[in-house]
Amino acid sequence: MKVLTQDRLWSEAVILEEPRRVLRVQSTRDAFLCLKNHWPLPDGKAKRDALAACDRVIDGLDAPDAARDAFIKAAEEAKFSVRCWTGG
Amino acid sequence: MAGHEDKPARVGDVMSRQVFTVSPTDTAQSVARLMAEAGVGALPVEAPGVGTILGIVTDRDILTSVVAKGLSSSTAVFEFMTVSAECCEEGDSLLLAAQKMHDLQIRRLVVVDEKRHAAGIIALADIARVNPELGGLILDGMNRPAAEPAQLEGVSS
Repeated sequence: MKVLTQDRLWSEAVILEEPRRVLRVQSTRDAFLCLKNHWPLPDGKAKRDALAACDRVIDGLDAPDAARDAFIKAAEEAKFSVRCWTGG
Repeated sequence: MAGHEDKPARVGDVMSRQVFTVSPTDTAQSVARLMAEAGVGALPVEAPGVGTILGIVTDRDILTSVVAKGLSSSTAVFEFMTVSAECCEEGDSLLLAAQKMHDLQIRRLVVVDEKRHAAGIIALADIARVNPELGGLILDGMNRPAAEPAQLEGVSS
C-alpha cells in the first residue's frame, strides 16, 4: 500500500459534483484515495497523470498544488462538474 | 515458562507504530475514506505543520455527530472530534494503559512522544493479545454503567 501516513494540504479545496454525490477534496492523500477507490473512470490519461502527481507530492518532489491541478484535469476527464476558486 | 526473568510489558512493545493522522480541517468524508483504506476506526488529529496531537476522531464520531445529526459530509473534523484525546507514552506499563482504558471506558489510547507527537496507537485488542486477562478486565469496565458527567471517546451511553 502506498504510504498514507503522510499528507500535504492544498491551498484551496476542490469540489466535484455528480448527480448523486459531492466529493470535497482538499489534500493530496485524499485525492489519491478518491482516484484509487471512488472514481467513475477505471482508467484515463489524466487519471494516471494525477495519481503520479500525487505520488510526487507525497514524496516531497513537487508542490501540493501540482497534485491539485492534475486532480482537476482528471475530474474534468471523468465528467465531474468541478467547483473551485482557482482553476487548474 | 522459560527460565528468564519476565519484564513487565510496556506500551511500546505492543502498540501499532503505523499512525495515520488527520488535520482538524479535514472533512468527515475524507476521514472516512482514509479509515476505509487503512482499515482503522480511529485517527489522531494533529496540528498541521506542528505535529502536536490535538484530539482523536472515530468512526463512531462520524456516525453519531455527523450522519445522525444530518450534517454535511463536508463537516470539518474540528467540529466533531474529541479534543485532548487520552494519551500514554511508550514507556508506560501495559497495566497503566489498561487502567486508563478501564477508567475512561475507551478502547484506544494515542501514544505520544515527549513533543506530544503521535508515536503510535494502542488498542484494547493489542493488550488482550499479549495479556487476555487484562483485556478482559478492560472489557468488564466497558460494560459498567457510564461514568457520570464526562462524555469521552468511545463511551457507550
